[in-house]
Amino acid sequence: MLKSRIAAAAIAGSLVWVGSALAQDTIKVGANLPMSGPNAELGEIFSQAASIAVKHINADKMLSKPLELAIEDSLATPQGGVVAMNKLVSVTKVPYVLSAYTAVSKAIAPIGDRAKVVSINGGAVGPDLAQLGDYFWNVIPLVNFEAEVLIPFVVKEKGLKNIALIFVDDPLGEAVQKVLRVEVPKAGGKLVGELQVQRSTQQFASIAAKVRELKPDAVYIASFGDQENQIIKQLRDNGVTQQLLSYSAMSTPSIAALPEAKGGWYTVQSADFNSSALGQRVAKEYKELSGKGANAYVANYYNAIMVFGILAQQLEKAGKPITGPNLLEQRRASPTFDLVGGKMTFQANGTVAAPVQIREVDGTGPGKLIK
Amino acid sequence: MVFLQLFLNGLQLGAIYALTAVGFSLIFGSTKIFHVAHGSAFAIGGYIYWWLASKLNVPWPLAALAAVVAASVFGLFMERFIYRPIQRHEASFFTVFIAAFGVSLVIQNLIGTVFGRGMETVSTPLSRSVEIMDGLFVAPVAAISIGVAILVFLALSYFLERTHVGIAMRALSQNPDLVRVFGLDPGRVAQWAFVVGSAVVVPGAIFTAMTAGLNPAIGTHVMLVSLAATIVGGIGSVRGAAAGGMLLGLAENLAYWKLDPQWSEAVTFVVLFAFIIFRPSGFFGSPTTAK
Repeated sequence: MLKSRIAAAAIAGSLVWVGSALAQDTIKVGANLPMSGPNAELGEIFSQAASIAVKHINADKMLSKPLELAIEDSLATPQGGVVAMNKLVSVTKVPYVLSAYTAVSKAIAPIGDRAKVVSINGGAVGPDLAQLGDYFWNVIPLVNFEAEVLIPFVVKEKGLKNIALIFVDDPLGEAVQKVLRVEVPKAGGKLVGELQVQRSTQQFASIAAKVRELKPDAVYIASFGDQENQIIKQLRDNGVTQQLLSYSAMSTPSIAALPEAKGGWYTVQSADFNSSALGQRVAKEYKELSGKGANAYVANYYNAIMVFGILAQQLEKAGKPITGPNLLEQRRASPTFDLVGGKMTFQANGTVAAPVQIREVDGTGPGKLIK
Repeated sequence: MVFLQLFLNGLQLGAIYALTAVGFSLIFGSTKIFHVAHGSAFAIGGYIYWWLASKLNVPWPLAALAAVVAASVFGLFMERFIYRPIQRHEASFFTVFIAAFGVSLVIQNLIGTVFGRGMETVSTPLSRSVEIMDGLFVAPVAAISIGVAILVFLALSYFLERTHVGIAMRALSQNPDLVRVFGLDPGRVAQWAFVVGSAVVVPGAIFTAMTAGLNPAIGTHVMLVSLAATIVGGIGSVRGAAAGGMLLGLAENLAYWKLDPQWSEAVTFVVLFAFIIFRPSGFFGSPTTAK
């Protein structure tokens, strides 16, 4: 019995060794995403979308070798992101890394810059992300573009002039604070209060009391992950009846399913999955994989991998190695990509411009289009 | 009015913190095991309740009972299959700590895989506040959680002071050999400590599912609160942990009265440091001196 177990273990071990040896004959890209902790819901969405793109690239034989996604857990913290990035750059030796979260992206950008490894973000929206150097790209419009659409709509069209802000004490929250300080007065409104909360805070009943004291017409929430849900629920549970506002962080499936979030307005880039055969294919496969409807994050992380696939294909055709500098050079040479949601063009600073929509949470996944 | 609102919020949160901390304190006080996976019992209880009550529409008493059973079985499992084998080899405190920490990571990932990684809440009218006075909002769950906390502590006090098992658990914390002299099995008594300590965390988990929501990583926060409340209340003292939890809940909310919101959690640790420096034995702990 013991002998047979040892033999089985030896066979299993040799299979793992052979598997890893075969795995060397692949092209690897990295993913530095929050796979555990209170932000893991988003990490799961991002990684599933990326894995669909990898599957498509391999199925369509776009590259000379199979593409492989090496996922590391950033924990959505700068420290976790740096550890994961160092591993991807120095051990796994990838030329291209998916990133998410403003604080994580800002922490890993210098590592990518030094190693000449491209980092591409599809989930973080801090405006600073446009200035992280040549090797940091964004396939998501940043929050300044979102606020430029939402705030005039809320203040001028809806007449909700007094806005209270609840924001998380990290680079994303502070970036939103900075943007709203400009956009709200510009639209003729007033920022009546700014309540900063720690990332680890989970109790918001007393924040709700502070919000009620401010008597705003609307409340803008600038957090992410589970904390965004907790703020929404606890504001509603604790007597805050005013209009809730947010950015693309409000587009998650768990917020769509949260009864207290119903009626909330948020901005998100336009990602029409029905407008092309590719979009429909991605939405269908994502639904099969996750059981949920596709949202803009799915489009972004699918697109982020497809950008690599297209650039790497062009490099291989030109007989050039797939390295960070070559990917950058190729993106500059051909900055327009036909992807989910339509044509996407990178600007010189590595960001993309995409139409921004205002949606209302109505319990149906992507929500109701308002504007 | 704002002060009164914050005070009431603090009482509600303090009751949940107290319910959370008292189980950890009971286990640590009886067995001297630093049960860092206590937060996992909280998460398991909360998720079982949410799954049964919200997803399968099981009546809440049955869902709560199932949650208590699940948390207790987890506690029993930890004692029987993790801590006891390690202690049999007289392993160090750190071995126990790392083993428990590892289990809590496994549980976190298991919950994420089985129930999803997003936040889940039990939607109930009990968590919706009503304006009882001008500007003063109170949710029914606040009164219920405070009432349940009082009931749990009364029941726990009765159990520890009036039942054979409870008295044996107190004896175990003082002198395990003495427990043997009286013909009792210290291992069996320790199992009771884990079962009861894990069960009492469930009401706090249910109220959290109703008010703040659950996520697979919630155990880490629970553990921090339990540890802080145990130190503030006096290590090993059940009523101390209850008082410590209540004090921390009040401090966290009353901080909003004069301080910016980002300071609220820091206040918890200021209270903790103040106790460590000025009253290291906590509210009800026994002062000891280094030998």
